[in-house]
Amino acid sequence: MGLLTGKRVFSIMALCMMVGLLLLPIVVALPSPAIGEEAPAVGDEAKKDGEKVEKGRDVYYKTEGIVVGAPAPKTTDGPKDYPRYNFESRVLIWFANQQHLYYGSFVLAVPIFCMIIEFMGVVTKDKALAKRYDQLAYDFIKISLTAYSLTAILGGILIFTFLTLYPAFFSYLSGIFRPVMHIYALMFVAESGTLYIYYYGWDKMREGFLKWIHLSMSVVLNIIGTLLMFLANSWIGFMMSPAGVDEQGRFLGNIWHVIHTALWNPLNLHRILGNMAFGGGVVAAYAAYKFLASKTDEDRAHYDWMGYIAMALGVAFLIPLPFAGYWLMREVYAYRQQMGITLMGGLLAWLFIIQATMIGILFLSTNYYLWQAMGRMRGAEKYQRYIKYLVFLLACGYIVFITPHTMVMSPAELKAMGGQQHPVLGNYGVMSAKNGGINVIITTTVLSFVWYMRGNKVSTVSWAKFGNIFMGVFFVCAYINIIWLAVYGYYIPANVRVGLSVPQVATTLSCLFFMFALNSVMMRGAKQMGPIEWGKISARSQYALIMLATAFTWMMGLMGYIRSSVRLFWHVNEIMRDNSPWAYTHTVGFAANMISANVLFFWISILFVFWLGSLTAKKVPVESKAGIPGSVPQPAASH
Amino acid sequence: MGNLIAEAVSMGWMALAIIAGLLVYFQVSISDPAAKKRAVFKTFIGMVSCLLLFMAIANYKTNFYGESRLLPVSLVMITVTTFVMALYFTNLSALLKIGGMMFFIAAFLSGYGNWLPQVEGGFPPVEEKKTWDSMTPEQLADEGEKIIFGGVGKNKEQGAIGKGQCPLCHAFHAGMLGERAPNLLGIPERAGQILEDPKYSKGDPSKREYEQKEAFPGSGTAESGLEYIAESHACPSCYVVAGYGVKGTNDKQSPMPAIHKPPISLSLPELAAVDIWLYSREGRDAPSFEEIVKAYEKFIPEADRPKQEEEKAAGATSLMADGTEPVDQILAKAQCVACHTIPGIPGAIGTIGPKLEEGTTAALRLKDPEYKGTAKSATEYIMESIVDPSAFVVKPFPDNTMPKVFGQKLSAGALKKIVDYLSQVKTGAPPPKIS
Repeated sequence: MGLLTGKRVFSIMALCMMVGLLLLPIVVALPSPAIGEEAPAVGDEAKKDGEKVEKGRDVYYKTEGIVVGAPAPKTTDGPKDYPRYNFESRVLIWFANQQHLYYGSFVLAVPIFCMIIEFMGVVTKDKALAKRYDQLAYDFIKISLTAYSLTAILGGILIFTFLTLYPAFFSYLSGIFRPVMHIYALMFVAESGTLYIYYYGWDKMREGFLKWIHLSMSVVLNIIGTLLMFLANSWIGFMMSPAGVDEQGRFLGNIWHVIHTALWNPLNLHRILGNMAFGGGVVAAYAAYKFLASKTDEDRAHYDWMGYIAMALGVAFLIPLPFAGYWLMREVYAYRQQMGITLMGGLLAWLFIIQATMIGILFLSTNYYLWQAMGRMRGAEKYQRYIKYLVFLLACGYIVFITPHTMVMSPAELKAMGGQQHPVLGNYGVMSAKNGGINVIITTTVLSFVWYMRGNKVSTVSWAKFGNIFMGVFFVCAYINIIWLAVYGYYIPANVRVGLSVPQVATTLSCLFFMFALNSVMMRGAKQMGPIEWGKISARSQYALIMLATAFTWMMGLMGYIRSSVRLFWHVNEIMRDNSPWAYTHTVGFAANMISANVLFFWISILFVFWLGSLTAKKVPVESKAGIPGSVPQPAASH
Repeated sequence: MGNLIAEAVSMGWMALAIIAGLLVYFQVSISDPAAKKRAVFKTFIGMVSCLLLFMAIANYKTNFYGESRLLPVSLVMITVTTFVMALYFTNLSALLKIGGMMFFIAAFLSGYGNWLPQVEGGFPPVEEKKTWDSMTPEQLADEGEKIIFGGVGKNKEQGAIGKGQCPLCHAFHAGMLGERAPNLLGIPERAGQILEDPKYSKGDPSKREYEQKEAFPGSGTAESGLEYIAESHACPSCYVVAGYGVKGTNDKQSPMPAIHKPPISLSLPELAAVDIWLYSREGRDAPSFEEIVKAYEKFIPEADRPKQEEEKAAGATSLMADGTEPVDQILAKAQCVACHTIPGIPGAIGTIGPKLEEGTTAALRLKDPEYKGTAKSATEYIMESIVDPSAFVVKPFPDNTMPKVFGQKLSAGALKKIVDYLSQVKTGAPPPKIS
């Protein structure tokens, strides 16, 4: 035990060293924040020397700094600033960007899964199960490796598209972000190197201390990947909520201000969760495809299990996503109220109705999959008869959640309706009620998960009866609290009812964390009614996974479009105006068609990537499949 | 439908020919009657699916920019194709069904997006040269209403919004609750009272507890209600009405942007027009235009005043139409109605050029042996005939009659609206709705 601990400590130290070495270039390349902070002092010194320095005021931080950059170009519609083919340049950049983002998200999310699954394999005491986890992690990284090359290629295409179609804008952006872009490139090299060592060293570093080093490398890989994403996020954050520049767009020398804009942190959190949910969806779809195409029971069992793990990980990150979105929106409102209103109650409001519909679809699909998955467990029948009540709760929550309140319409339509709010529906779709709707949906999903986790088990702890009653009462109270607050919201002013979201969300999160924890304690050493018969799940469940993955992809495209189009006719909000012929916002229908085209292109290309991956398929070790189905040790993630 | 099938055949004839070749090959090469029947049936299904697929692609290609809500139908056709093929090609069944499922989901979501009301964000408003000095107070008040609400008489219309974007946050009528910002009814009178509020700290901005003490160093505080209104536009965080500050700042900071700066960037005369409307709509005598401009000059330094000329250099200037107008107005502004008959457009009864029923005629002209242009679809043809009228001249009309300046004189949005409209005008069919 002591030796094991020593090895762990050593591997952690090795890991820290690796991280330190990898981060060294950033530390070295970031003298500018310090310069930025000291800039006024330098300026004063220069003043004393009699030199003339021009100072500017930061549009966001309101600090003064020495002007070191050129103003944002005032573009004109013509071949100089907007060279073009006989096609809408904006659609081309939209396509290139979206494809790069899809692949980028996928290859950043999958190593996080690998890290979690490999870690589960290392710490589990069951050797057969440990091997299965290890194989699963290897399968995941293998899928992402081909996608990784494609991500780099798409990144190159994206840069060329920017350079050739939006040269003035890209020149301005790269002028400001020059050091960040260089660090980004260096980090990409580090990411590639680490990924290749991680993948090709898998077999060599399979056992003992080397396995810990290998696992540590996955941590390093993910740190680099996450930092890469944060840097890329700083560019879009700057375009939405610029900082570090004056009103003319001139850089004031503080690179940290340019990176750390008003929306950077919420964007980082939202994107990391979104990537994970999306990555889970893609891997789950891969597993579903392999399951449906499987010819043997062994393969079906393996891919059933793989699909379940991917779905569970994806949904684990989907659940907090609405809360991260809420934070992002709050920050948007705090940054520019008009921007928030354009999003939620103005030009782009209908897109949020689509988003609400899709969130509902995602949760309904997840619940449907879990109910189907209970069919492969002996003992889970006792819960099946209650599913109809969950369907009722989900349907009610969904209907409330998608009810619009304020609608954006043409004057004629407004006149016909008698105002911006529908005479009947307008009374219902208020925020606290919608929050109630989504919280009921999430709480019901938590309940489905709890039922699934205890499907084939009976708790043997002495306080089992009390625990069950407590859990039941807790869930009932949670529903009552959420619904009561949703109804109460109708009786209080709008600016007060907005605050009701806090206790509603707190209730849901309490269910999520407290009930999961309690259930896990109750199920420790539980009596098994029967095994999980992996591979015996219905084919319909796999289509639920496909639905989940496609809906994730579509929603990602939708939200990306919303985030980007909220800038309206600005390349950089309030700093650099878009004077191209495409400085208008498309209709909802056009955007929906374009998103569909992007989604389908992505899925057709990723199916090709899956096929490429299958050409070098590595056989699943015989011993890891032994006994499937029936006697296979159950994965820790499921119980 | 006929056009769609013809387009599909012209695009996919090679694939269809290969399947037809396979059909013949199976007929002659398979001797077992049952196997032959099966193979022939499968290839027939393949042919139907292939045709459906190309019809879907043709529909997408033709209507990508159009107003047609039928695009998702393409995706449904592809879904049907994949599921039908999955029935007969069992070795690829899983892949085809998954593909079909994905196309179906995309079709559903696209259909949903197209079913919802279509709102298009227009181009940024184009600066118009106005001679403010010579306007009467009534005309200035009308201009102010246009800036706030987007048009004269629109102040009671819900959702009406103009360049100033004020109704996004402010209410203007009695009984309307401004949740995000104060109701501006009675502001000319209230403005004078606010000056007496100790928090406003009239005459001594250094004692203010707000995020900003002054609009700019040395600007001082307002001395009259009129100046207060000007200051509140130029420096919203110099005084914040209790309860309307940015959350978490204890009403020290206002969420309102400075109106003379981007993104709104109202010029001083525009701000004056807004103020005149605020006074005159309550039946009060508004201060003179010059007085109001002078009040704004006190709080907005010379360097910060929006320069209309500069904006003009950067944006569209001498456009006939910028695309924000309905299509009938665009056609009228560009004088198309003088020469062409266009069904559905009032007054478009010209006979100097051909009648514009491009939904029917564009496809025929593309097939005309004398057509030498570069357009590949009906929409491309319509665009080409506007920006380069000599690319194809409809007989018996003479060449060089139609001006060749519309590519420069109409914005991309205006051109798109014309193309969208004309592509839907079909011979014998009722004219499309004006958007």
